[in-house]
Amino acid sequence: MSGKIRPIEKFARAVAQCSTETDIGVPQAASYGKCVVADYNAVYKDMCAKEFMKLKDCYLAAAKKR
Amino acid sequence: MPRGPLLARFFKLYDPPTATATRRYAIQSGNPTLKVFNPKTKHLQKERAAQNVELSRRVDYLKDEVATRLCERLLDIKRTFHNVLDLGANSCNIAHALTAPNPDPNLETPTSLPLATRISKLTCVETSDALLHRDADLPFNNELSIQREVIPNLEMLPYLPNTFDAILSSLSIHWVNDLPSLLSQVNTILKPDCPFIAAMFGGDTLFELRASLQLADMERRGGVSPHVSPLADVRDVGGLLTRAGFKMLTVDVEDIVVEFPDTFTLMEDLQAMGESNAILHRQMGPISRDVLLANEAIYRELHKEDRGRGIPATFRIIFMIGWKEGEGQAQPLPRGSGEVNLKDILGGNVNGTRGQ
Repeated sequence: MSGKIRPIEKFARAVAQCSTETDIGVPQAASYGKCVVADYNAVYKDMCAKEFMKLKDCYLAAAKKR
Repeated sequence: MPRGPLLARFFKLYDPPTATATRRYAIQSGNPTLKVFNPKTKHLQKERAAQNVELSRRVDYLKDEVATRLCERLLDIKRTFHNVLDLGANSCNIAHALTAPNPDPNLETPTSLPLATRISKLTCVETSDALLHRDADLPFNNELSIQREVIPNLEMLPYLPNTFDAILSSLSIHWVNDLPSLLSQVNTILKPDCPFIAAMFGGDTLFELRASLQLADMERRGGVSPHVSPLADVRDVGGLLTRAGFKMLTVDVEDIVVEFPDTFTLMEDLQAMGESNAILHRQMGPISRDVLLANEAIYRELHKEDRGRGIPATFRIIFMIGWKEGEGQAQPLPRGSGEVNLKDILGGNVNGTRGQ
């Protein structure tokens, strides 16, 4: 195990870039989080699909950079 | 035709049930068939977690802390214990805590002896062999006579009645399916007038993770799968102990809030502790990346602290003490018989500071 980076760690690092990045305004993770939390008593499938796709794009871009 | 025997058989078959039946209160009889956790899964998770010794030791912070707090409760009992059982020992965290020097920091008595000096023999039982023997070579083993025993199932205790002078248990019995049965077994194998002291995860443990994973599941997949175990509530514990026959109960709750950098670290640590999900009817396989990504964002949004970049995770620990009934045991006084106002003794200040 030691020495090798677990896939989940790589994933976590890439995701972290999307929840703390501030040079482009509100981070994607925060806008998705706000969208879900805004009405968390009545969440349904794909309620925040648009925000999620932006977040996922951000994550994919961050994952590619490494 | 031999009429007689036929008639007799008829009456034997249709023996009226009301003749011998006595009316009782409606209680659950025998073992309830409800199964929540998969003991095999749990066993594998613990074994796997203990394989990585270094990581497994690093995430013992929670178990060590709870074991220490549990052992503090032993300080109030001025007794020596010959034969003590540690039920669900994990990596013998209780044994480690018992050997800690100076467990009672007090101005009047500058040094107190480790609690281990009052215990002649400690039996540690656990289902996972690897986890139980993980720390068998560490120096604390020499300060206490420890016997390690691996049993196939924590819900069937292979001991004779009236065996132990005390039974301790730290962060294990929240994985037990049939808690009422286990508690009555514990009561049976205790000697009369001896204590059972236990700590378990309770109700609101990891409520942040439970809620955010549900929201993420709902939004991404349109349904939920249980990711965080159902846990016993504080209110249930008193009833459970009473039903198992314990007397003089003390139940209290402590919250431990741990800050993690992100949800992935939290879940990795839980896995390394061997505390990952072992619910029977969970969805098999890992949580999808999409849900994890959504979960991270939602958790942060709901629970992030104003200062610092970490996220909090709450562990609610229920501490319980119950005594087996015995002769000459102190009895609680009847209700309303108190003559001293507790407010006068403890001080009724709003700030909660002690009175003069």
